Amino acid sequence: MATRNGIRDTLNEVGSIAHFTGRFFRNAFYPRFEWNELLRQATENGYRSLPLVAVTAFIMGLVLTVQSRPTLARFGAESMLPAMVAISVVREIAPVITALICAGKIGSSLGAELGSMKVTEQIDAMEVSGTNPFRYLVVTRVWSTTLMLPVLVVLSEGIAIWACWIGVNIKDVVSWDLFYRQVFESLEFSDFIPSFIKSYFFGFAIGIIGCYKGFHTEKGTEGVGISAHSSVVVASLIIFILDLVAVQITDIMGIN
Amino acid sequence: MSEENKEPVIRIRGLCKSFGENHVLREFDLDLYRGENVMVLGKSGSGKSVLIKCIVRLLTTDAGRIDVLGQNVADLDQDALDRLRVKIGFLFQSSALYDSMTVQENLEFPLRRHWMATTKGDTDALVDEVLTAVGLAHTRNMYPSELSGGMRRRIGLARTLILKPEIMLYDEPTTGLDPITGKEIVELILQLQRTYNTSSIIISHDLNVAKLAADRIAVLYDGRNHLEGTYQQLLASEDPLVKQFFIFM
Repeated sequence: MATRNGIRDTLNEVGSIAHFTGRFFRNAFYPRFEWNELLRQATENGYRSLPLVAVTAFIMGLVLTVQSRPTLARFGAESMLPAMVAISVVREIAPVITALICAGKIGSSLGAELGSMKVTEQIDAMEVSGTNPFRYLVVTRVWSTTLMLPVLVVLSEGIAIWACWIGVNIKDVVSWDLFYRQVFESLEFSDFIPSFIKSYFFGFAIGIIGCYKGFHTEKGTEGVGISAHSSVVVASLIIFILDLVAVQITDIMGIN
Repeated sequence: MSEENKEPVIRIRGLCKSFGENHVLREFDLDLYRGENVMVLGKSGSGKSVLIKCIVRLLTTDAGRIDVLGQNVADLDQDALDRLRVKIGFLFQSSALYDSMTVQENLEFPLRRHWMATTKGDTDALVDEVLTAVGLAHTRNMYPSELSGGMRRRIGLARTLILKPEIMLYDEPTTGLDPITGKEIVELILQLQRTYNTSSIIISHDLNVAKLAADRIAVLYDGRNHLEGTYQQLLASEDPLVKQFFIFM
């Protein structure tokens, strides 16, 4: 019985998120556009996430390099290190790790912010003043995460590759020019495009789930905590599912 | 002028609203006439807040009809509803100030949404006017978290008044305030009603508000408008349900 209720609740939740997403598309392309709020949210969700993303990318690039070296050295393939790290970072690690970091930072903040607005009747107040709260609060935030995540991913990839160069130079001496040439000789355009496209979907998922959870907050302040927490969990799960789908699609299209 | 000759600004007929098996409002009727303060008196959880949320369509009704300024609220499309909502001020129990904005930004927000002030000078003049009206001109650059409960209630009032509404809906305006601040809020409501010529529905269980502010009181019991009258009429009533409210008076 409990399992059946769990399945029913999950399906209800999926349906409700699909309905919320449909509502986003019905509002996202028609005036009135909230440009000022969009700019503010882009700054908040993009620019203010940059330090965290940058530090994570740096550590990720450095650790990956240092840990991969012994294995490659065993096969005498140390010279492949820049290419291997660059391909891993660009195709998979940077988009997914950046998206997960943003799911934690942005997703929880959206869930908590909109959740607290909901329980303190600020969203109702906006609505009774003749403002469409969905357009003002949700559309701007979802657009901002969708547009800013690819930017963060590209920056993260750059920083991780730079950290890889530092990692390589811990034991060897490789000039930046040589390293740079090795990296870009190994990378193809088809490595960037899937990663870039899927990061839009990751950004969209983070925004829509954070806003959905916040907008449907119940049970007062306890509910705000639940919304913040579940925003992160559900967005992270969706990121992995999207990544799995993206891998299948690129495989079918022969891009891998 | 008798009530028969006056056109109500709000007319509610046969309003029903349920949440699952909980029938909150059943066949509720009420009229609000221009310039009048009507108080809806009821116990906690009796559906008072649900009633005024139905008036502005924050909640949809199950049955019945609500006409506001001659328009059936249920029939309006979103644009028409938004235009009507501008004519209705709603003071929330929690004040519902936007806590990421300063007082000035809270007050400017509805103006910017409705293009009611096109220049910075116009906006500042309107903000000054309502802040002075609620006696808090010095709080312009403060955040809601820096204000006391009474001050937040006043700023909430200022934010609704800035759009010059014809009708005001007050949801428990004195709840959570000390008696002195509560009395100040009621006096402010009366003063603003005279200044801006608004008609009001006040939701409360506070009989001091009823005594000071209400021209007419409707007792909400079991989802229905059980009895209506002035404060003195209800005080003199022998109805056992009404007498319960006046037990401490």
